[in-house]
Amino acid sequence: MSLSHFQTEFDKMMNRDYFLDAVHPMRKEAFSKFLNSGLPTNKWEDWRFTNLSKLKQKKYRISETQDAPAGDVDLSSFEIDGVDTVVIYNGHYQEALSSVPSGIQLLSGIEYLERKNWEFETAERSPFDLLNTAFMDCGMSFIVDPNINVETPVRILFISNGEDNIMANPRMYLDVGDSAAVTFIEHHVGNAASFFQNASFFASVGVNASLDHIRIQSNSTSTQNMANLDVQQETDSRYTFTQFADGSELGRTNVYVHLNGKGANCELNGLALSNGKQHFDNHIIIDHKVPHCTSSQLFKSVLREKSSGVFNGRTIVQKNAQKTDAKQSNKNLLLSKDALMNSNPQLEILADDVRCTHGSTTGELDFDSLFYLRSRGLDLARAKSLLVRGFATECFDTIQDKKIKSFIMQRFDNWLN
Amino acid sequence: MMLEIKNLYAGVDDKQILKGINLAIMPGEMHTIMGRNGSGKSTLANVITGREGYAVIKGDILFNGESILDWSPEDRALTGIFMSFQYPVVIPGVNNTYFLKAALNAKRKHKDEKELDAADFLKLIKSKLAEMDMDANYLQRGVNEGFSGGEKKRNEILQMLTLEPALSVLDETDSGLDIDALKIVAEGVNKYRSPKRSFLVITHYQRLLNYIEPDFVHVLIDGQIVKSGGKDLAVDLEEKGYSWLGA
Repeated sequence: MSLSHFQTEFDKMMNRDYFLDAVHPMRKEAFSKFLNSGLPTNKWEDWRFTNLSKLKQKKYRISETQDAPAGDVDLSSFEIDGVDTVVIYNGHYQEALSSVPSGIQLLSGIEYLERKNWEFETAERSPFDLLNTAFMDCGMSFIVDPNINVETPVRILFISNGEDNIMANPRMYLDVGDSAAVTFIEHHVGNAASFFQNASFFASVGVNASLDHIRIQSNSTSTQNMANLDVQQETDSRYTFTQFADGSELGRTNVYVHLNGKGANCELNGLALSNGKQHFDNHIIIDHKVPHCTSSQLFKSVLREKSSGVFNGRTIVQKNAQKTDAKQSNKNLLLSKDALMNSNPQLEILADDVRCTHGSTTGELDFDSLFYLRSRGLDLARAKSLLVRGFATECFDTIQDKKIKSFIMQRFDNWLN
Repeated sequence: MMLEIKNLYAGVDDKQILKGINLAIMPGEMHTIMGRNGSGKSTLANVITGREGYAVIKGDILFNGESILDWSPEDRALTGIFMSFQYPVVIPGVNNTYFLKAALNAKRKHKDEKELDAADFLKLIKSKLAEMDMDANYLQRGVNEGFSGGEKKRNEILQMLTLEPALSVLDETDSGLDIDALKIVAEGVNKYRSPKRSFLVITHYQRLLNYIEPDFVHVLIDGQIVKSGGKDLAVDLEEKGYSWLGA
């Protein structure tokens, strides 16, 4: 997608009467910055191993009203027991299909911005942040008031379907009030023949609050998927992020966690399963700004055929962030000679009284283990899938909810078989 | 005849290790192979179970009258061959229960028997655990994860009792065991003996043979069986070593 084509779509966007004028200045500003930077190339340090040529070749258009579903949508194959679901279809909120658990206020993007007096988190770290601000369409904001424990997990189900080259730029805010707790699932599905999704997610986790965030990326293998996550954590807050990715042609997840308050704890886990020529890239930054915070990253990839992946994890420990406890681990399993993984775990430590570890391994299935299982009567395929399962399941230790975990395990088993 | 090894020459990485082994094991018999390190004992066990990397140069191995040289390790296992590993592998993340249930059901399926559900399997495995004096927390742990040397060997015998093979090849199952664990392992083996089941017990030491009584003892030196006899041969070896056999 060329810059002039982005310009055409942006002009269309600005002429839409249902987008509030008040947002226009920030869209324009972001878009002009985007035009200055352009899309990343492999010469950019953060994009050395992720090739955006597919995205650059295609011409995507913004989603139109006719891209919303005409009638009912069959959600049965995306069913997860015991969750409330908000449905977004090709960038359009589907109120009739949605339900929100008690304890959560659901606001439109505009309502949220107004409530915040236009003082809200935004990001300009990459061109995709800017693109999201310029094109943000289905804005959704979730607010959990202080001291509320939302018992039913809430899921946003993003469905992308159809034949056209569509782009969607969802933007979500999730504010978890002090001492509140919630489980939030992003579930990306659909059979779109060509889709570009560039989603931005801003979470703030209040004092002593808890957010369990699960991201399931299972959309069609012709989707270009950018996920931009920004998490602000206050004192004694807790955040877990668990990503399961088996869908998309290209998936890039950027996570930036700001540990702003003492005693904050975050655990970020991810499992990427790739086939064919899929490419999954995780760029993680955890910024320890204050003392006594703990963080961990556990990212694993299982790569088949000609698929590839990137892990780039950075843990920053600022000068006064003493007593930081940070772990970082990346483990990758190559199931084919043509698969490729680039792993780059990094620690930037400016404080002196800290405990930080990091490690990275990339290898094949263990020959002796394989023989051991086969010698007990398991055939080669079964023995392999058992080992892959064993390699990866610890990534789901961060998921407390049994039904969500079993949904993901089921998908994992389907992938294995 | 359950197992017949005919003039077997085999090796690994172009190195010939077994140089003309002949061995016949009838149902119900327990045979012991004794020999020093490097004599080819473990190679023999690995060739019988079909480990990749071991090449048969000449000769044949028949199981119940059929040549198994072209069979995959899993097909040998499903037909009734089991090996207790000298060094059982640790497989973190693969749960013992999950693994053993899958293995047992693969075998039951092969025999056209109904697969066991979780409850039936649990009942069965708990009784086997009790037989081997093993803790029930075993069920939640990864395969051999955090197991001591003795626990790993007990786990091998537990798997044997669960999978019920016709031929059990025990490769140095006694090594690394203290006397209590050795007794438990030997008891497991003895209880499992029956007129239809056979054993090939590979060992360095006569110690194990104080607890399990072999029908035949074979001495392996430099890839050849140089002497065969009854259980008294093991006692002679313990006293005199291997040198009187011309090694």
